[in-house]
Amino acid sequence: MSSGGGAAKPKEEEQDGMSVHSPCKPPPSSASSLPKEQAQVELELRLLEALEIYPPIKLQGIHRHFVLYGLMEFLRKSFDRHFSSEEVLQLLDRFYNLEMMKTDDEEIEMLNHEEDFSLPQSYFVKEES
Amino acid sequence: MGNSSKDDSANSGDASPGDVPPSDTSTYSEGEKVLAYHGPRIYEAKVQKAEIRKNEWRYFVHYLGWNKNWDEWVGESRLMKLTEENVVKQRSVDKKQGADKNVKSGRSNQAKAKSSTDAKVDKEDVKNNVSKGKKRKIDSGVEKGSGTVEKHVKIQIPAPLKKQLVDDWDFINQQDKLVKLPRSPTVDEILTKYLDYKSKKDSTGADSTGEVLKGIRCYFDKALPMMLLYKKERKQCSEAVVDNISPSTIYGAEHLLRLFVKLPELLAYVNIEEETLNRLQQKLLDFLKFLQKNQNTFFLSAYDGTKVSEGKGKGRDE
Repeated sequence: MSSGGGAAKPKEEEQDGMSVHSPCKPPPSSASSLPKEQAQVELELRLLEALEIYPPIKLQGIHRHFVLYGLMEFLRKSFDRHFSSEEVLQLLDRFYNLEMMKTDDEEIEMLNHEEDFSLPQSYFVKEES
Repeated sequence: MGNSSKDDSANSGDASPGDVPPSDTSTYSEGEKVLAYHGPRIYEAKVQKAEIRKNEWRYFVHYLGWNKNWDEWVGESRLMKLTEENVVKQRSVDKKQGADKNVKSGRSNQAKAKSSTDAKVDKEDVKNNVSKGKKRKIDSGVEKGSGTVEKHVKIQIPAPLKKQLVDDWDFINQQDKLVKLPRSPTVDEILTKYLDYKSKKDSTGADSTGEVLKGIRCYFDKALPMMLLYKKERKQCSEAVVDNISPSTIYGAEHLLRLFVKLPELLAYVNIEEETLNRLQQKLLDFLKFLQKNQNTFFLSAYDGTKVSEGKGKGRDE
């Protein structure tokens, strides 16, 4: 499986943008940036863990929303807070260029092969209740 | 259960017998989807690598839908070709295993030896089937089934909606009628209505609900022409869906409901943790209840009969 764009990119640039708010109170440099950095590392580690279950290649193609939903839920469970889809995508962007990835949708036989709809037999059985 | 592969091949007399050097070409090729024994059960797997080791073909397999940690090297006797008949076998083994849990390893041995000889016969059968005109690709049925059955989403469609589906079938196939397009509300409109309704009730879950709805829309657009149409509707579809128009902006609740019949098969391609899958299931069910509640406004009570003469006798054969 060739997943393009798997290169990790250094995330130094993002760090600056984090402490923009609170201009009046410059944080004591080392004291507050350390835990923040740790939180970021934790976040990234969890995300990478989640990608084991929800492979990034599936974030392109037909299943992408359900995979993204899976990631949102995974992070929500891990950190006990809500993650929006944009937030997850931004996180992913630190590691992957999703747009460069190719889907593996061609592998899905049932979606590349026209087949008439047929209602399963069980629907025609009269159900009580 | 890793019984040494030599025993098996001796029994079956089929795969490479002990001392004769194996042929240059492996029975299973890299990338091929196969059925593989793991313990007493049979799983769907993919051959990642094939190598000759100690004069025997060895295969590195990945069990589809399972964590990579389970990937392993196995001998030929652990594998079967992916044919419909072998899948039937896989299912029956599954059932047997479910029935009594104290299986002796001896039994799985027997099954193993037997199936590898059967595999050849099966190939013939499949060929016959194909020549009879069933164009179905051999492994298409398998993708859906596979060893991950337990993890599949179960979507219990409420009884009134089931009846709706049967009526839908009846209108089209028995009465030769069609759903008049474009529908109102469209699939898109229904999804938006639902999201509005949910966000009012509970804004925190709206984001994940929104993602699921996007997923449904995406599935619908792709699935409609491929698997949601009865044969008699194809012509209408090719006339209505032109210029990259999304089917979800033309079709309505009638076809959306059909998607839910197919949804478990589609979602089977996505690996989802069990807990999350349960939550997803709840969300889907909740959406179905919404459809049910609005059944009178979302669904047509009568289909369009004007196309009867046109559609008759056409498209009988392909």
